[in-house]
Amino acid sequence: MKRIIFFTILICATLQVRAQWSGNTDFSIHGFGRGSVYGGSKAYDLTSVFAELSLQASLKKGPAILESDIRFTTGMFFNEKDARFRIRELYAGYKSQKFDIFLGNQIVIWGRMDGFNPTNNITPSDYFFLSSDPADQQQSNFMLKMQYRPLPGVDLELVAIPFYKMSSYRFDLFDMGELGKYLLFGDDMLPERILANGTYAVRANFDYPAFGGSVSWFQGYDPYHGFNVVSVNWASAQPVVRIASTPYRKTAIGADVAIPVGNLMIVRAEAAYNHTKNPDKKMFIPNPDISYVVGIETNVLGCTVIGQYIGKYTFDFFPLSVPVSPDANDPASLVQYAEKYIDYENRLFNRKVFNQQERTNHAVSLTITRSFAYDVLSAECTGYYNITSKEWFVRPKLSWRISDALMAVVGGNYMRGGEKTLYGYSSAVMNGAFAELKVIF
Amino acid sequence: MKLLLKSLVTGLFLFFCANGLFGQSAAEISRKSREVIDLGSTQMDFTIYIRDNKGNERVRQLTMISAVFNDVGKTLVRFTAPSDVQGTTLLIYDNKDKEDDMWIYMPSLKKVRRIISSERGKSFMGSEFTNADMSKPNQADFNYSLLGTTIYDGKECWMVQSEGKDQTISKANGYSKSVSYIDKNSYLCYKVEYYDLSGNLHRILTSHDYKNVTKSTFFSYRTVMENVQNKRISEMVVNKVETQTKSGEEMFSPNALQ
Repeated sequence: MKRIIFFTILICATLQVRAQWSGNTDFSIHGFGRGSVYGGSKAYDLTSVFAELSLQASLKKGPAILESDIRFTTGMFFNEKDARFRIRELYAGYKSQKFDIFLGNQIVIWGRMDGFNPTNNITPSDYFFLSSDPADQQQSNFMLKMQYRPLPGVDLELVAIPFYKMSSYRFDLFDMGELGKYLLFGDDMLPERILANGTYAVRANFDYPAFGGSVSWFQGYDPYHGFNVVSVNWASAQPVVRIASTPYRKTAIGADVAIPVGNLMIVRAEAAYNHTKNPDKKMFIPNPDISYVVGIETNVLGCTVIGQYIGKYTFDFFPLSVPVSPDANDPASLVQYAEKYIDYENRLFNRKVFNQQERTNHAVSLTITRSFAYDVLSAECTGYYNITSKEWFVRPKLSWRISDALMAVVGGNYMRGGEKTLYGYSSAVMNGAFAELKVIF
Repeated sequence: MKLLLKSLVTGLFLFFCANGLFGQSAAEISRKSREVIDLGSTQMDFTIYIRDNKGNERVRQLTMISAVFNDVGKTLVRFTAPSDVQGTTLLIYDNKDKEDDMWIYMPSLKKVRRIISSERGKSFMGSEFTNADMSKPNQADFNYSLLGTTIYDGKECWMVQSEGKDQTISKANGYSKSVSYIDKNSYLCYKVEYYDLSGNLHRILTSHDYKNVTKSTFFSYRTVMENVQNKRISEMVVNKVETQTKSGEEMFSPNALQ
């Protein structure tokens, strides 16, 4: 059935295209080359060192559009040499004042908040591509994207993704203490490549002077996946547990809004209800939850200040209990205990990944940016504190536009968390300073 | 990018001069001056050359489309160079009786974002022009006086002074007062002197290459702003102008920015 829907959408959309293929051909090619160094962590002197060329070609002929961003990257990433050819985006299609249709590898970002977007479920991220710009982590999906603008200020968007792509976490790089000694990471458990496993999302968006907002619906595998125990090897005295990235399917209903308050500030809010089905209580599927973010943006002493509250409420939450240690003389109960303990630890780990360690989760973030010297220098600092888990990070960044073609960026990333927290694990690898030189053409 | 915010424009260049024109005796001058710069629906490509006191030059290129719908001036500005800002687009609704509405699309963010329309006194695109220079001044915010007449560039001009009514207004606009030189024959403004908040001469604007748009309206194709304190000079050159364009209102919708 979903196959029929997918192809029906595609064919109908194609039939909509009644273009007058006239007009000048507008072709441009630009991009950048850069060298980037990220290092100084506890685990690596130089965590990520690479050179990269980005070729961005764009062609417009009447309503026909072709866009691409092709990247060639070579360097050392976590002490491993690598050369990558990456199609960050490559898509073609039709664009008019009322209707667009694009097919190809695209990055779609939804949500009006900054950095924390409950409604943004479409685009996966490579959280371990470390550079000066967090947007470098975004990964495109092959998708059909259509947009229809029936009225000024109103647009309807439809996204259909046939094949799932998951976000990349490299927990294998972390020193996970005692737990890590018995933990191995197996191959990703990707869903079968059939259209029934595709992702479908729609959004109605409104932008008016008094307010802007949207409502959205998403059904598909969440790029922000969980982990499942795929095998336990009992051959040695201590069991060796193999876990694998395992995605889960969810339905999300979301909304966001931005309301200007005169010249004083803009108030923004975004929320999504994430519905999951998990009758078998699988560990890699989170409980249904509602995620919400509220924030303001204002100008203070020449700085742009964005403050946000980030919250989550988990439905059907129950605390996990540590298995009770059995009688050491009973081998059968020892095995049972080991199984329960493996289950407990991995459920706990997944809850950390999903930010569902408590029924409610509270966090705050603050971003301050300011430009100096006629926009030649730009300073930015983001701080985040999770009130519930006591984890925090701070990310300062300074950009120097040396000329129109040359830019230098320096900054850092420092995160901290308690023992057995995600930030606690990550900090040894991801803390550090970065420097980048970029030539733009 | 925030410095660009308060920047655009219903009749880009000539509002530089309009600030000084609204006193008792300047009211008529003001009205006529406004009439000669009414461009209606316009599309223009322009370049800003920014030169520092060492002779280093930076170049910004933009395309601007503007039109009026239901008495609201709507302006779309797309940055075409340098490459790192190419594709960035600003949309401004120039409201008469309240703050402007502004949205920005930045290709790197992949989304349209509502922004605050403040910081009028800040630099426009890293140039000597400020955002306040680029947008229509609120006439009620200033006191106007006629200082006299003078000969400027061979033309007999009125010298009209405007001062912010209070410190907040002056601070927001980035200057304490300005003196405009307006040609008595054509009502065109050729020079404006801006004084900083301490009362010292700060910037001098000169307008050149006025050309007819229609029989009775004109447009300056080259405008120069000199900062006399740090010796930086910024120059805006209009490369192409199309007037009376038939831009549909859909084009000026936030969701059409991408």
